[in-house]
Amino acid sequence: MTDKTRHISRRSVLAGLAGGASIMALPGGIGTAGASNPFKMGTFFSLSGPASLFGPTQTACNALAVDEINAAGGILGRTVQIVPGDGGAPPAEAAKTAVRMMLRDKVDVIVGSHDSAVRQAIVGALKGRIPYVYTPLYEGGECAPNTYVPADTPQQQVRPSINAMHDSFGTKKIYLIGNGYVWPQQTNALAKRYIAEFGGSIVGEEYAPLGPGNKFDDAVTRIKNANPDLVLITLVGGDNVNFNRTFAGFGLDKNIKRLSLLLEELTLQGIGPKNGNGLFSCMSYFSAVDTPANKAFKARYAKKFGEKAPPLSMIGVDAYSGTNCAASLINKAGSTDAKAVMAASEGLQYKTATGTGTMTNRHVAKDMFLAEAKGAEFKIIKSFGKIGHGEKCSV
Amino acid sequence: MDPVLIANGLNISFEIVTLALVAMGLAVTLGLLGVLNLAHGEFVMIGAFCAFFVQEQGLSYLWAFPLVVIVCIVIGWPVERTIIRALYSRPFDTILATWGLSLLLREIVEFFFGPGFNSVDQPVSGTVNIFGADYPLYQLLVMLIAVVLIGALVAWYVKSSTGRRIQALVDNPDLAKSVGIPTIALARNTFIFGLCLAGIAGVLLAPIVAVYPGMGIDHVLKSFFVLVVGGLGNVVGLVVGSGVIGGAESIVAAILDRTAGYTFVLIVALLFLWKKPGGLVSR
Repeated sequence: MTDKTRHISRRSVLAGLAGGASIMALPGGIGTAGASNPFKMGTFFSLSGPASLFGPTQTACNALAVDEINAAGGILGRTVQIVPGDGGAPPAEAAKTAVRMMLRDKVDVIVGSHDSAVRQAIVGALKGRIPYVYTPLYEGGECAPNTYVPADTPQQQVRPSINAMHDSFGTKKIYLIGNGYVWPQQTNALAKRYIAEFGGSIVGEEYAPLGPGNKFDDAVTRIKNANPDLVLITLVGGDNVNFNRTFAGFGLDKNIKRLSLLLEELTLQGIGPKNGNGLFSCMSYFSAVDTPANKAFKARYAKKFGEKAPPLSMIGVDAYSGTNCAASLINKAGSTDAKAVMAASEGLQYKTATGTGTMTNRHVAKDMFLAEAKGAEFKIIKSFGKIGHGEKCSV
Repeated sequence: MDPVLIANGLNISFEIVTLALVAMGLAVTLGLLGVLNLAHGEFVMIGAFCAFFVQEQGLSYLWAFPLVVIVCIVIGWPVERTIIRALYSRPFDTILATWGLSLLLREIVEFFFGPGFNSVDQPVSGTVNIFGADYPLYQLLVMLIAVVLIGALVAWYVKSSTGRRIQALVDNPDLAKSVGIPTIALARNTFIFGLCLAGIAGVLLAPIVAVYPGMGIDHVLKSFFVLVVGGLGNVVGLVVGSGVIGGAESIVAAILDRTAGYTFVLIVALLFLWKKPGGLVSR
């Protein structure tokens, strides 16, 4: 029963937030009567599509950050107001929404947590005219003008974790499996370099089509025959669940470690407590991170949304850090002028859920964590401290 | 024998059998009644959620089977009466109506269970060694149950009087009615039976796959290809179609990869629609 009510209110939290925000976003000042000249922040969170399970957490974390920013004086002294867009929509539609936000709603900044295809569409639509902050995790290399990327990069996710796995378990023979699109393929291209650095070898590499869920019986059979020490997984969503369930079902979890690069609390829930033996994840956020900053963050989050809060996960909490990043960026620049914001980004410090992020080359050095699945939860087994992002965008 | 060959053979068999399992209900509603039920996948999803629900209540997984039959009757009865019955002779409208139904069912389940992933524990765990290949015991059981179900369906359709009445209903509804076959009740029961088969497939698959409100499409897409290749109106076509689609995909996937396997299936389905629209086993 408690579970049921939690889910219902998770939906109603989202509906309430989105509904309230869209009233505020009405043109003509109906909703803006109280706040004169608000600072408008366009958001792209997953309100629909396969990633929509993250939508409630993204929206809630964004709302918490906006509350805190407004309590501290807003952005450029103005109250922040959200103009919501759907980051789960097809890229072409997201691009249209971005243009509408820019021309009709006149938003001052855009914050987004969505896939890379939508990011490329938004970048193409904005052409650097307003600042755009992209927050989840990605393949690296986004250097478009006036675009700021606090997202986890492959150098932050893959390099420390694959070395730590090698140090702890002696994993040298590695099998790569992912979905066939830009993030897994480019991440694996970099992973091969990092694996070569410690003398590891690739014993197999394959990609499953992104779309309706795949079966992985044949892939698991190939992996068994290739006999790797470690499988590096860049499958996403339902495929990540299906693969890991099949992997454990065939009993491969007894001898082969798994490191997944997009595995947070919600996906782990689908994989199930019995299938997570030897399964690891490396990201900048886990709900289980035991630092004073995260404890305080979780307390503030629980206070605002109560027991019925959407569950915390990396995809979702990134919206909290990203919203703070956008606010600190504009406040430091003193305006939304592209040149001023670009200049302000270098060396910018801002509040994240687990501490502080430092921006250089429009990417962010941040604390990274290696976690192991223990039943239905993660256990942090290593804190890597601040890891550089490895990106070289000019400012 | 070579364990790799055995393992691949088991994988291919599993692919074919699970495909037939999911397509079975569709073969009944589309093949026998001519109702293209786009909400078929949602009934597979509802079956999976029945399995999740009973486990969450601390009950045995087996309770999901009676539960899903009850749920499918409770949903299917009014749906047939209000939506499907009026559209038996209007196939295109049926597609639109059942598409709407699929959205509604997804939203309802999401409202109660949330949009996220859930996991269903396997009722039996562990692997068994089959001539040197380790294979999950539960998947072996699913194959056995599915084969029995499909065999029973074929036997029932061919042998039983209800099966013959459905054949009569399908061949000539007016004539069937005039000889005293209660066509309205028969059509309704056949429709609900098709839904129950989808739900049971969902219960059986739930312990292996990701259980979430949008999962229907994962499982139903290839079922349509099965019927395209196998042909409509005959349960034998289901077995043949599953063999061609499932076999072709998993053989190509085993040699190359999943993307090549999926592409091959699309090409096969397209060729059939183009060159042999009646399928391999026509009515």
